[in-house]
Parts: sequence; structure tokens; C-alpha cells
Amino acid sequence: MKKYRFLPVTALLAGVVLVSSCSDDPDPVIVPPTESGLIEVDGGGATYPNTVFVSLRAEKQTAVPRASWDLAFSTGSDFKVLINGTTGAMASATTKTDINAVGTTEIAAAEASGELIMGFTNMVGILKVDNAANPLSQPVIAAVSATDASNVVYLLSRGASAAEARPWKKVRIIRKGDGYTLQHANADATTFSTLDITKNADDNFVYVNFETGIVDVEPAKTDWDIAWTAGTSSTTSQGTTLAYFYQDLVYHNIYGGTSAVAVLEETVPYAEFDETDVPTLAFNSDNRLTIGSTWRFTGGGPPPSPTPTVYDTIYYIVKDSDGNVYKVRFLSLTKDGERGKPSFEYELVEAGN
Amino acid sequence: MLQRRFSLNKFTLLFCLASFGLFSEVVAQTVLKGRVVTEKGEAIPHATVWLGDAKGEVADEQGNFSLSELPKEGKFKISAVGFETVSASWPAGKTQETFVLKQSTADLETVVVTGSFEPQSARQSVYQVRTIGSEVIQNRAPSTVQEILSTELGIRFSQDNALGSSNMELLGMSGQNVKILIDGIPMVGRQGTSNEININQIDINRIERVEIVEGPMSVVYGADALAGVINIITKADDAQKLSLKARVQEETVGSEYSPFDGEGNHLRSVTGGYRVKGWDFGASFSQNNFGGWKGEETGRQFEWLPKDQNFFNAKVGWTGKTVNLEYQLDFLDETVFAYGPDARLEVLDQEFITSRWMHRLSGKWAAKPDFALTWQGAYTDYERESQTWVTNVRTGERYQSQAPAANSTIFYTGFSWRMIGDWKVDEKFRFQPGIDLNTETGSGERIEDNEGIQDYAVFLSGEWSPVPSVKIKPGLRKSWNSAYDAPGLIPSLNTKVSLHENLDLRLAYANGFRAPSIRELYFNFFDASHSITGNPDLKAETSNSFNGSLDWRAKANTDWGITSVLGVFYNDVKDKIAYGQDPNDIQVTTLFNVEYYRTAGVTLNQTHSYKNLTANVGFSYIGRYNQLTEEQTEVPEMSWTPEVNTNLTYRILPWRSVVTLFYKWTGALPGYEIVADSGGNPVASEVMLDGYHWMDITFKKDFGKHLSVNLGARNLLDVKQISSTSGGGEAHGGGAQRPVGYGRSYFLGLTYQLNK
Repeated sequence: MKKYRFLPVTALLAGVVLVSSCSDDPDPVIVPPTESGLIEVDGGGATYPNTVFVSLRAEKQTAVPRASWDLAFSTGSDFKVLINGTTGAMASATTKTDINAVGTTEIAAAEASGELIMGFTNMVGILKVDNAANPLSQPVIAAVSATDASNVVYLLSRGASAAEARPWKKVRIIRKGDGYTLQHANADATTFSTLDITKNADDNFVYVNFETGIVDVEPAKTDWDIAWTAGTSSTTSQGTTLAYFYQDLVYHNIYGGTSAVAVLEETVPYAEFDETDVPTLAFNSDNRLTIGSTWRFTGGGPPPSPTPTVYDTIYYIVKDSDGNVYKVRFLSLTKDGERGKPSFEYELVEAGN
Repeated sequence: MLQRRFSLNKFTLLFCLASFGLFSEVVAQTVLKGRVVTEKGEAIPHATVWLGDAKGEVADEQGNFSLSELPKEGKFKISAVGFETVSASWPAGKTQETFVLKQSTADLETVVVTGSFEPQSARQSVYQVRTIGSEVIQNRAPSTVQEILSTELGIRFSQDNALGSSNMELLGMSGQNVKILIDGIPMVGRQGTSNEININQIDINRIERVEIVEGPMSVVYGADALAGVINIITKADDAQKLSLKARVQEETVGSEYSPFDGEGNHLRSVTGGYRVKGWDFGASFSQNNFGGWKGEETGRQFEWLPKDQNFFNAKVGWTGKTVNLEYQLDFLDETVFAYGPDARLEVLDQEFITSRWMHRLSGKWAAKPDFALTWQGAYTDYERESQTWVTNVRTGERYQSQAPAANSTIFYTGFSWRMIGDWKVDEKFRFQPGIDLNTETGSGERIEDNEGIQDYAVFLSGEWSPVPSVKIKPGLRKSWNSAYDAPGLIPSLNTKVSLHENLDLRLAYANGFRAPSIRELYFNFFDASHSITGNPDLKAETSNSFNGSLDWRAKANTDWGITSVLGVFYNDVKDKIAYGQDPNDIQVTTLFNVEYYRTAGVTLNQTHSYKNLTANVGFSYIGRYNQLTEEQTEVPEMSWTPEVNTNLTYRILPWRSVVTLFYKWTGALPGYEIVADSGGNPVASEVMLDGYHWMDITFKKDFGKHLSVNLGARNLLDVKQISSTSGGGEAHGGGAQRPVGYGRSYFLGLTYQLNK
């Protein structure tokens, strides 16, 4: 993999030299996409504390602690807010619009029903989380209405899945022009704080942490293609669909223009996959779980359980926002035997614009 | 149960004669007096003298019999239980004669020790003890203890192929309710999620016989003897001076085999003993190398994990006038290799390494004719290490992973001391007080720091025989435990009534308990989707158990003997430990004394012995309680499963050979699970674990004085997996297939034995 590293660097230098010597044209530098690479994902180790965003063409990864944020405000034309599925956060609508009026009654009711606690006994859990495949399509917090009186208060668990449990919060979100105003407080508090959020078109979301305000989490929306994380998805138990927390989920950037599709080795072997195979594929751009956890097997449960493995029967084709088509296959769940440090390799199949 | 004496007496004789329509009155007019004795000259009571035409006479208590007339040509036969039948002829002109019977090896009276102060005949024991005798074990040439037990009625094994071990169930109760003893000493070192003693970590070459007692024996053996006791009796050195034994056995594993190493199963063992004056020395070394079984797996992985075992035993014994003492050291070293799947970058292999040191000290002091004391002490050091090894496929480098939790070790140490006195008050009454001290500590990965478990108990039992045909054995145990609430007084009552010389009735009531294990008390596990903790506040599971059996034996004629045992049992377990949600933090799963469980069943066993053929047929019908019946009324309270087993042994005397066939049908096991119906409501659905047939056939032949050869086929019907209709969740799909065996396998073994 090292031998390819010089390529973008030299290309970059060449480009810089070329551009600066011949013209004053302010056009951005065109960096050719990486031809191939191997990424050892910095997931943080056995407790997989990070979400890791990867740009294939730049061969770059950005690791962000999963618990560093609480709410993600959509920058699109809609007014939608996501909770932090990467810590297993859950939210429940109250009937009230006055945030100070929400307190012990609602907490007691939610504690009694267990609806904000993820687990095999929570039969309504799936209704208390964002849609794992396409969260904006079905967020647990209803789209923020222009009518303030329609925006109810939500009781929020900040997530206790492979994350330190923190006291519940209550939130209410209303519009403010083209942005949002967040009202938030501890669930049992009688006062609240507010925070205004302005949309930023370069990003998919603006991220907010209750303690520190607006935080950097996701790279700019065209600067990543796939993200490795632990996060909420679903499982079926005894015929019921339950919210279930997974490690080793891989999302592709459906809101930033990335699409992906899985290919089986038996259909076309990875080594033989080339640009002629691309037109036969139906790329998926509305389900970020196309890769999901389909690339690995884990036995689950306390030890002893079967050794987790990466399937060698499946790989993925990822088309980035520039139209570069990569084939991606996962190599390992571990680094030196430690979980939470997976690796994958990829190759450019077809360069984009 | 497999070896049982065939008793004969007037009743059966009359019965037989009558049923053959040949009954004729014998006029008592003494003309000839005979006496039947052993080779040592001791009288053999109740021997039968067969006079042809199915006429006979039975000797009295002192072995004396008298004949009113001479049989045809003076020829007749004499038979007695435990002795070889002889054809004799009356010496002409004599009116008195003595006849010597040789002890029969096949019909030796079964002697049992489990639950009794000293070895006694199985018939005399108040417990219904099932014995798998040394002859059966020798004929079978097993490679593991599991092979011996798996065709027994009421015993089921389920393979845990992730760990390379197996879990046992006895009469519908899981293996953690079964007390595993070696010569009466409890084994230490429960492992795996099932929390069981791994019965295959015992050297098969040292096993003389196995005694199984069904039903609680908690008064004598304390915790965990709830479903029953499996007492593994090791070989006693019976040589006069010097003994030497060597065994080599090669087995295929399914169709996989390579000679002496790698694929297949390779067993080697050497044992020696030396006796001089009052001293007795012995040592043995055994090695089992199981090459694993690939099955459907491809690449590096195995369906059945390869396993290497080394066993070492040393012992020294001393016998004095009133005292005997024996010290034994057992060492086990086992490595199970779990090869990880092929991978493009990192291959992860696991090794599970068990080492166990067990020291035992046992002895007896016959202080006075009416008082004796026995003691059994043991100290066990058990360590199970899991190692993860990384192989980098691209560089070829192999190294032990240093990642957190990649390597872990669990340690157990256990100490036990049991001392029982036996005081004969008079002929009718014996009194047996005892103490039982047990301490266990466990530490290691994921086990919370703890003080260990100390258990101190006193017990008292008496054996009262108001009339010779009745034995009543009440017992009481009181224990104190440092870690959990020990049950109060544990009572038991065992009775045996000889309804007739041929017919024994045993009725028993007992209270049993299973102690929460160190794992249940202190094991914590947390990851992305699991929060599991132990519960240090658990108390013991307790049970009320009733069982009864009727034991009938008869001899239809000289050649044909029959024994029948009909047994029934009922167990009712309270405070069963089960997982549930912690009320203080419902995200946490922990253990509680919440559930209720029940088993019931009937077993019938019949052995026919005709000339050189012994046929044993057994049937059991066992019911297990369905927990779901408490929520779902349509679920039946009990699920019932049948089992049938058969052992056929045929001795080909001119060839000095024995052919044995072992067969068992394990019936389908029904159960219930909750599924959602079309409306999303939870409903109970029946899941069925398929039944299967198992058959082994073995052949043993002796050559010369010292050598014997075993060969045979195991799993003749080529069973590999059985299917379960259970759906399971996506995250915890148990898989619809359960491993049972690795396919039809063949073995050839050689045993050399020298006794001087």
C-alpha cells in the first residue's frame, strides 16, 4: 500500500507546481483519486469508542468519539433532528410543549415501561430510535414544525450502549428562521438552556453536545464515503423486531452522494471485478446499511462464543460523490487480535469526473 | 445394573418347575449328603443342585444339601450366584461329598461404594445404584468417559463444539445438578456457560467402574448432588507383587485418520504397580491425542476441536493392622485447539489450556470391632487458560495477542475433607456421623473479587434393620456456608424392603440442594449488547425428591437368568436459579432464585442372561417441566421423552472372545419457545429436538496370558447432527443443527497386562 502513497503526493505537488506556474486561475486543485489502499480503521480498540469516517479517494480516516455528540440537526431543506444512534440513544415524545412541565411524571412512566432502555425485553424499542437504514426518512423526533405549538418535548436517553450511562435529558426543538432553536435540560430540571443552530450547506448535519454546544463530528459531506461505527440497528427475536446495538456497522454516506452495492464473490470474484461490471449493478443511495454488518459474523454473547470473522464471500462497490467507483473488501475485524480495529482494502475500478 | 447376580431360590424354582409343567413331588428320604463350598472352602449358601428333568434341590445357608435318590448315571449340575456352574457326578459308594465352585467372573456380585460406609453388594445397598462394571468398560475400549455414559438411560450429552467439551443431562436435569466424584471425592473446576465439571477430563485408563445413583444424595455428598451422583471408581492395584499394563489404541474420527499422530484419535497408556509388605506403590501415564474432525468445515477450522490430553497419576498406600492410608496425585494437562477461520489479514487461533493438580488422601481406621472411621480429603488446583494467537497472513508472523481480554485465565482451588464414622450399636442398628468440609475459591477474568465459598457440614445417618428383610436409613445434614444462604436441615429417608428373596423394594425421599456456583455469584460480562452480572445474594436451589424401585431377579433354569428393575422418580425444584432483569437497572441481566422446575419419570430395565449371551434392554420415559406453562396456558406442564437402550454381550468361549453391541435410541425432545403470531402477539410454539439412534459394536479377544485385542466400530449408524426446529434470534441463532457425533469410526486397541 505504501508504494501508492507517493502517487497523490507527487500528483498534488505536480498540480500545485503546474497551477501556480502557469495560471492564476483560482479553480481548486484537482487531486486524482487514490488508486488503491488499505485502511486500518482506528476504532479505538476493544470498546470501539470511535466512529471512523473514511474518504477512499483521499485515503484518509477521521476518528471521532461516539459519545461526543447528542443531536444532529439536518442541514437540508427539511427540519429534522437525529438522536445519537452510535451510543444507543432513545427518545420518547411527551404530550407537552412546555419543557419545564416535563419531569418526574414522564420519567417515572418511561422508567416503568422500560421504553428508553435498549434490550431484548423492550418490545417498543424500535419505535424509540431513528430508522437505522435511513434516519432522516423516519426520525424518532418528528420533523420540526413551523408551528411552535406542534413541537412537543421529548424525553431522551443519551445512550448507554457501550457508552457510559448519563442522566436522561428533555429536549424541545423549534424552528428559528432557516435554523433551529434547541431547548434542553436534565429530565428532572425545572429550568432549561437554549441553543440556536444555523444550517451549514457544506455539512450533512450540525452536531450538538448538551455540555459543549456545537461540535465537530462528521467531515464535510463530500469528504467521506463510508463510516465504521457501533450503532443502533435491529434484530429479530421471537418474531418481534427489536432495536439492537451492533458493533462493526458500516454506513455509506447516503446524504453526501455516496452509493453502494454488495457483490458476492461467486457472482464476480473481487480480483476480476472491473468497470465493465459496474453498469450491471443497482447502487443503493437510500439505505446506509447496504454494507452494515453484512461483512462479518459474530457469535455474540459471553465467551465462549464462536470466533468473529470477516466473510470472504462478499465485497462492496462504493461510488463516491465524485463518481469514483471503488471495490472495497474487508480484511479483518482485529488488529493484533484486538477487536474494534478492523481493516479493509480497496481499489479504484473507474475514475469519476 | 449391567452386572447383576442371578439369584435362585425355592420360589423361582417352584415357579419354573410349575411353569414348565414338570413339577413333581420329591419324597424326602435322605440318602446322600453334599456340601457346596468356594475354592477357599467357605460354604456357598443356597446353591442349586440340578438333577435333570428340571428337578432340583437347594442347599441351605451352610451350603448343605441332601438328595433322596441318586440322579441318572450319577450326573448333575450345581449352580450358584456369582459362581461358575459345574457338572459333577456323585462318586460311587459315598454318602457324603464336598463340591467346589469357582467364582465366576461374569456373574460376580456387583459391589458398590457410593453412599455406603464400606463396599457392599448392590443388593444390600439402600440406594438403587446403577453400575457400569469393569468388564463392560473393558469390552467397550472407550476413549472418553462420555462414551461409557452416553448409551445409559436418562443420560444425554450435548456437544459444546466451540469449547471442545460437552454438557450432560441426567434424568431431565442439567449437569450442574450432578455431583461428579472420583472415588467419592468431589471434582473441582466447573467450566463454560453450562457450569459443569468436564467429565472427559478424567483418565479413561484409570477407571474401574462407574456408579450412578439417581436422586439427591445431598445428606452425604452435600451441594450439587441434586439430580444424582456419578461416582467414578478408579482401579485398585490387585497384583500380588508387581503389575504392569500398557495400552495402545488407534481410532479413526469419522473417515479421518493418520497413524499415531494428527488425524484420528490416538491413545497410549502405561501403568505399573508394586506391592511390598504393607506398602503399595503405583504410577500411570496416559496420553490422548484427538485430531479433531473437520466435518463440513473447510480450511483451518474444525467442527470438533483437536485436543491433547496428558494424565499422570502416582500413588502410595500403606496397610497396617487397623489403619490403612492412601495418597494419590493426579495431574491433567489438556490443550484444546480452536483454529480460527481463514482470513485475508489476521488469523486468530485460540488455545484452551487446562491444568489440574489433585491430591487425595484417604484412609480407614478400624478402631474396634464395632467402630470404624473413614476419611477422604482432597486438594485441587485447577487452572484454565485461554490464549489468542495471531497469524499475520501477509507476513507469516505468528504471535500471542496482547489485546485486552485476548488472554484470560480462571483459577479454582478446592479443598474437601469428609470423615465418616461407623458405629455398630447392635446387629440391627448402625450409626454413621460425619463431617464434610469444602472450600472453593475462584478467580480470574470477569470473576469479581471474592472471598471464595466455605462450606462446613455435619451429617448423621443411621441404618436400622428391625427385621433382616427391612433396612431403614434416615439421614440429616446441617451446613453452614460463607457465601450464600445454606438450606436449613437437609433430610433424607431411604428404605429397602426385601418383599421376597427375589424381590427388593426401595423407597426414598430426599431433600437436595444445588449451591450457587462461583460463576453464578461473581461472573460479570459487559459488551455492546450485554450487561450480565452475577448475584452474590443468591441462595441454594432446593429440591424434594421421591423415588422408588422394584428389583426382581430370577433364574428360569440353569442357563437363563433374568433381572428386572422398575424405577419411578419425581423431583420438585424450588428457587431455581435463572437469568432475569435486575429491578434496580433493567438494562442489566442477572441471576435470581425465581424459577420452579420439575422432573418425573419411569425407567424399566431388564437383563436376560442365557448361556453365553447377556442381553440388557432398558426403557425410560422422562418428563421435564415447561417453564412457559406459567404464562401460556396452552403449553403442557411437562414434556415427555422416551429412550430405549440395549446392550448385547456374547462370549465366544473357544475363541476367548467377547462381542458387545451397545445401542440407544434417544427420543425426540420437545420444548416450547415464544414467537409472535401474525398479529405480533407472543404465542408459544413447540420446538422439537430430533431423536437419534446410536450403535457401537466391539470385539475383544484374549491372546495368551497377557495380551488382549479390542476392535470395533463406534457410531455405526453414522450420526453427525440432529436438527432442532427452534427459530432463535438473528443475534443468537443457535443454529438448527446440533452436533451429536463425528460419524462412523473404527478402532483397534492392544492391551498388555502382567500380574505377578
